[in-house]
Amino acid sequence: MVDQTPPVLSVKDLSFRYHSRQTLAIENINLDLHAGQVVLLAGASGCGKTTLMRCINGLIPHSYNGSMTGDVELFGQSVIGLGLSDISRRVGTLLQDPERQILGTYVLNEVCFGLESLGMSREEMLPRAMKALERLEIAYLAEKETYYTSGGEKQKVALAGVLAMEPDILLLDEPLASLDPASAHEALRAFRKLADEGLSVLIVEHRVEDVLAIKPERVVYMEKGRITYDGDVAGLVEVVDYGRIKLPADVVMRRSQGKPVKQFQPAVPKVDPESEPLVSFQDVCFQYGAENPQVLHGISLDIRAGEVIAILGHNGSGKTTTVKHALGLLKPTSGRVLLQGVDSKKLTVAESAHTIGYVFQSPTQMLFAPTVREELAFGPTNLGMPKPKMLANVEWAIKTVHLEEELATPPLALSFGQQKRVSIASVLSMRSKILMMDEPTAGQDYWNYQAFMDTILQTPGFDAIVFITHDLDLALTYANRIVVMYGGRIVADGTPQEVLAEDEQLHKWRLEPTSLLSLNRTYFERTGQFLRAEQLAQLIN
Amino acid sequence: MDRIDPRARFIVSLAILLAATSTWNPTLLAIVFAIAILWYASARLSFKDTKLGWLMISVMLFTMIVVNTLITGGGAGGVVPPGGQLIWPNGFNLFGKHFVIGLTIERLWFAIAQLMRILSISLAFIMIPYTMDSRAYGATFSKLGLPDRLAYTMELSFRFIPTLARNLQVTMDAQKARGFELDARRGGLFGKIRGVAPLVIPVTMNAIVSSEDIANAMDLRGFGQRKRTWLYQLRYHWWDWVLIVFSIVLVIVYMVLAYKYGLKLFSVPGWWYSLFK
Repeated sequence: MVDQTPPVLSVKDLSFRYHSRQTLAIENINLDLHAGQVVLLAGASGCGKTTLMRCINGLIPHSYNGSMTGDVELFGQSVIGLGLSDISRRVGTLLQDPERQILGTYVLNEVCFGLESLGMSREEMLPRAMKALERLEIAYLAEKETYYTSGGEKQKVALAGVLAMEPDILLLDEPLASLDPASAHEALRAFRKLADEGLSVLIVEHRVEDVLAIKPERVVYMEKGRITYDGDVAGLVEVVDYGRIKLPADVVMRRSQGKPVKQFQPAVPKVDPESEPLVSFQDVCFQYGAENPQVLHGISLDIRAGEVIAILGHNGSGKTTTVKHALGLLKPTSGRVLLQGVDSKKLTVAESAHTIGYVFQSPTQMLFAPTVREELAFGPTNLGMPKPKMLANVEWAIKTVHLEEELATPPLALSFGQQKRVSIASVLSMRSKILMMDEPTAGQDYWNYQAFMDTILQTPGFDAIVFITHDLDLALTYANRIVVMYGGRIVADGTPQEVLAEDEQLHKWRLEPTSLLSLNRTYFERTGQFLRAEQLAQLIN
Repeated sequence: MDRIDPRARFIVSLAILLAATSTWNPTLLAIVFAIAILWYASARLSFKDTKLGWLMISVMLFTMIVVNTLITGGGAGGVVPPGGQLIWPNGFNLFGKHFVIGLTIERLWFAIAQLMRILSISLAFIMIPYTMDSRAYGATFSKLGLPDRLAYTMELSFRFIPTLARNLQVTMDAQKARGFELDARRGGLFGKIRGVAPLVIPVTMNAIVSSEDIANAMDLRGFGQRKRTWLYQLRYHWWDWVLIVFSIVLVIVYMVLAYKYGLKLFSVPGWWYSLFK
């Protein structure tokens, strides 16, 4: 249905090139946004989504230099010549990482930040700030320090700060990136409600399937700086490459029928349930200092050769704290962790690193060396590996992540996806027996993270792989065992089909069932295992 | 301390700083030192809370006073006149060895005077982060006349210090997971700098990358486009005015005594010499 009302936002023949680049970041963009609409802007990394948002919210040209042609109109008025503070009263922007968007030390101060910038009196700003907090049902947080709010709360606080300025248009830049599934769905419902109240909402997100749950009025798809689709959801799922963005599993299954499927064969050995565990958690409890509450309660878990374990759980459920115990970065308050039979309290972290290679969530938190080669040599050198062996391992690790040509490049000059691969390679080069990864797909788009996980799991050399994730589909696609944590306890542990059997149970653990899960359940009697949608299509036919 | 307006607190601390740095006169330094002790005591801070701050100041004091003034004598240059009476003119014996050091009675007094001066300043300012509401910095500095951008910088740093500390911990863990041990640093200054690079570089780079987002977040909410108002309310009471007047009088008296009556210069009290007879 075509909206006959005049658009609140109109982008006309817009092109932009950053001064530092040779090519256009966006080209000939035309886009209208109407009051009360939710529009999803999708596309792979680097397709120009962020640049388009910057043109709409005024950061381009006010904060980023470049050449721009075309125009952006708000309520029929060109933004050219408007100051950022004028634009910010009409266009509110929620940035990807709320941690960096929150400027105030306390929630109420954070929400008032924009109003203070507009020069409002305290009497004017307080009711507006409280109204924004109440609108998002977080008024109880007003006097809380922002640093101590949870991930989901942080995002709502940042959003309240934007809403307090009473904008007509809301731009959301990958708002689900740092949220667990339940918080993501909660956030999406809040966005829908705001649109239903009259706001125009533009969501940039590559978790397309999640956003479809709130029935966006329109979907815009971008590739290489251009809009290649602008229409309803039904049309989008038929035209875009299902390998590029994550579409509902039933659509992928239907569309992939008769097409060749990539072969995928994990390289870990077969599981021997009788073998000695590589890592053994025995009734582990942990608290950060005697004055703080206990965060792990009686964790018992054996990790054996051949296992690919996904650890699922809400934000703050204790996933990372548990994994840090395996490496000895944290020592149990009670209970013990055995690493190949040796108590972790008797080992240094460096000694444990011979057995466990741990890849942290963000590559920028570990990359430092002047070249990729030196970055990869850092771990093996620290472990005292002889030079010829170290060099051979560096060569092997870089080949594994397909970045041979970047050996002399500074890691920090690479793209985010490449940095992620370097961070993995810098752990691979230590030749540890177990690979542990914290949110391995965070910050990568669908195509990149699938390719990345396929490569890692098919890489020979690991006895077991453990990864922490929020992504249920990632767990059911790649893991042969799933551990669910909730409130510092292991609440489920088994094969994907055992653990993910009931929706009701998943909701209790703050996990959200997906279309791929329900499709797998439907065909489970015929397949006997959980598979990707493309594999299901091949097997069923 | 909670009842005192943050602006008045800054003004008192600033007055102590100005008074302490205006003179080397023993009596005047002792008076300002006593005022600083009283001012600090009024904040009723426990040592446990302020331990880290005092540790840093102790390191600084040790370097400035023990190393720079007593051992090398460099810090006293230009203040203490050359020459003076040696404390041990003939040297002394210790552990069967004979030592000769050039420490004079004047330089030893200078060390004490310097200690009083630095401690007065430290006492006046170390209490501020422990007693002030982090929400008050912007409003306080702005009302004291600083531009909004500068005034907000302090408030923003309080927002991001815990984040920076957490990032440092994550980087430390990530590098430890690659077998890195801080204790195993190489020798020499250059080696030591290289040794901490795996920690410092990622943390710094993250801070730089974050700063772009932070700047965008501020721009997108109209920061710096017009004169800012503040949610945090500041209100002077009569006791704040008493403190401000006291501070002004203190600074004026010290400046007059120091510059008009020549009490700016270094001098040693007579009783100090008698201790070494």
